[in-house]
Amino acid sequence: MSASPIARQTTVSQAIPTRRVLITDPAQMPDVYSSTPGGTVYSTTPGGTRIIYEKSFLMSLSKSPISQTPPKCALPAAMMKNPGSGPVLQTSGQKNRSNSISFDESQETFSMDL
Amino acid sequence: MAGNNTEDVEGSATTDVKSTANAEIPPEFLIKHPLQNTWSLWFYDNDRNKTWEENLIELTTFDTVEDFWRLYHHIKLPSELRQGHDYAVFKQGIRPMWEDDANKMGGRWLINLEKKQRNSDLDRFWLDVVLLLIGENFDHAEEICGAVVNIRQKFDKIGIWTADASKQHGTLEIGRKLKDQLGIHGKIGFQVHRDTMVKHSSQTKNLYSV
Repeated sequence: MSASPIARQTTVSQAIPTRRVLITDPAQMPDVYSSTPGGTVYSTTPGGTRIIYEKSFLMSLSKSPISQTPPKCALPAAMMKNPGSGPVLQTSGQKNRSNSISFDESQETFSMDL
Repeated sequence: MAGNNTEDVEGSATTDVKSTANAEIPPEFLIKHPLQNTWSLWFYDNDRNKTWEENLIELTTFDTVEDFWRLYHHIKLPSELRQGHDYAVFKQGIRPMWEDDANKMGGRWLINLEKKQRNSDLDRFWLDVVLLLIGENFDHAEEICGAVVNIRQKFDKIGIWTADASKQHGTLEIGRKLKDQLGIHGKIGFQVHRDTMVKHSSQTKNLYSV
């Protein structure tokens, strides 16, 4: 396995995002152990191996700016919502690998003035 | 939830330099969220000049929540596809066909949708099924191979494919959760691929039903 998806995509270090949810009543606590107040942000099973997301959290991420960007892979016109909004698959049977890196990779590692 | 400005963003100790551009963006929106599995999106084209296998195209893979949405937002909903078309979302490496090693001992929970449900339920059911899969919401998620939606003249169908039909406990858990999460009131049945191979799916008897 290569690095995790986040490690591969992030070229700039950032603080780990956290969110504070104020609980005023025990009734606001989730009714399942695997969930955190305010929705399951990132949880694993007791074995510590499975990444679980609840529907509500997945739905909230659909509004993320990254989620709005067109996919990089070419798609057959028959399945595209707006043909012309992205690359179209020309030759059928051609497989296209996903290339989902959305961060700017054009920055050079270093540059030197001589 | 997300996007709510009343939420406190922690971690300011390390961010003295405040980026004004990022100030209003919820922290969840700054990163991609990895999925447990890498999933492949397949499309079945129904070109009569091609064989069944040639019509089945693996388009791309995704392994983050955001990359799933990028695809979802830019492809047609199942109800907008033409008759004869399919979408399939499978764990990477598993082809959406009975013959695949991962499927040959398995079967599927089958949701038949009446014609009138194409407008009311089809797209919602399909999205809910895919989110259950990629969010690993089943207790026996390791049994899941993928899901298929078929757009057909008579009945549209959504099938949730599992790896081993003999695992009754896990298979039933998946069926019950599906039914519960989708809010299906009638019964749904589980068919073994080996049986579907020899008989038309409408005549295949259910191994389980919930």
